[in-house]
Amino acid sequence: MVRRKRKTSAIRRYHRTFGVAAAVFVLFMVLSGITLNHSNGLGLDRQHVSQTALLSWYGINEPEHLYSFAVDDDWLSFAGQQLYLNDRNVLTLPNGVGAVSTGNMLIAAGKEEIVLLDSDGRLIERLHWDQPGSGPIRALGLLENHTVVVKSDHQIWLADTRLLDWQPSGRMVETPVWSSPSSLPETLYQAIMQKYRGDGISMERLLLDLHSGRIFGPVGLVIYDLLALALGFLAMSGLILWVRGKRKSKRNGKSTSEPGT
Amino acid sequence: MIAQILGHDYAALRLRYWCQSGRSAWVLDEIGKELPITVGVVIDQNYIQSLRVLTYRENRGGEVATPAFTDQFNGVSLATNNFIDKDIDGISGATLSVHALTRLANMALYLHRDSGCKDGT
Repeated sequence: MVRRKRKTSAIRRYHRTFGVAAAVFVLFMVLSGITLNHSNGLGLDRQHVSQTALLSWYGINEPEHLYSFAVDDDWLSFAGQQLYLNDRNVLTLPNGVGAVSTGNMLIAAGKEEIVLLDSDGRLIERLHWDQPGSGPIRALGLLENHTVVVKSDHQIWLADTRLLDWQPSGRMVETPVWSSPSSLPETLYQAIMQKYRGDGISMERLLLDLHSGRIFGPVGLVIYDLLALALGFLAMSGLILWVRGKRKSKRNGKSTSEPGT
Repeated sequence: MIAQILGHDYAALRLRYWCQSGRSAWVLDEIGKELPITVGVVIDQNYIQSLRVLTYRENRGGEVATPAFTDQFNGVSLATNNFIDKDIDGISGATLSVHALTRLANMALYLHRDSGCKDGT
């Protein structure tokens, strides 16, 4: 009888300890689970993480380079492989070389591609640079009459007015103005940095990773497994304590109701 | 009309095509599920002569690139409502890719007619 009592009090002690330890975890799981169930309605899939530390935790760092080119009243910037018109990401264009404006068209060049954009940043056309024997694009520029000029390894190429065709320049009579990077205004720089990193992880993804423990990597999964086992222990120990308590009260009731005891 | 056919604007505002003697060739892109499918369409006198998947990038649904599927488009033309005049049989597991190819076939036919690519041009 004494042994059983000791066992019961040990279970109760562990139950209490595990219960207190798991309470915070359970509350978090409940709240995050309910939030995840309504993540679309709450718009969490459309909101993005902007905290630098969190993004770095996910390995989303600032772009290796940011080159910006002033085109008319706008800025075209190459951040990593992304092209930004002012602070708006318009498309992917790796190995940015330069950007110019012909007045009605914005033109950005990577080493292997040229993209034509309208003034709102909508793609007009992507031109793959495949002039025979020319090699990659080294520079993009303009002549005084707004003719677009491309410099490759061994040649300078002139575009027609609609940028449909390219011709080798032959003997240049005019020196092109080659597009060169400039310093971005600080506010624009910050906005691009935030967008470059901020588009990486949605709040829904973050919450899912917190809910599953994956945010802490394999260690997080093991910890969450242990916490889940603790919850299982709580359920079992609670059940045992309840059954024993019930038996005890039944026994006590029986003994008090027996005559002469 | 392109937005009506595709259900959204086409990714580029300008398209190049080849035209000779009423035949035109188009290279178009459309998202299947997540990635663009690149399709080549040859149209002869307002009828699709050939449709081929040039690049398929999705993990699943690559069956749409087989001639058994793409040959269904041969001889298809535009109905009066600017949509194609034939029902294209689907492939289970590749529904979105099938829809993407159907939309591109429709778009190529519309562009061919709109481009004025006729005999002698």
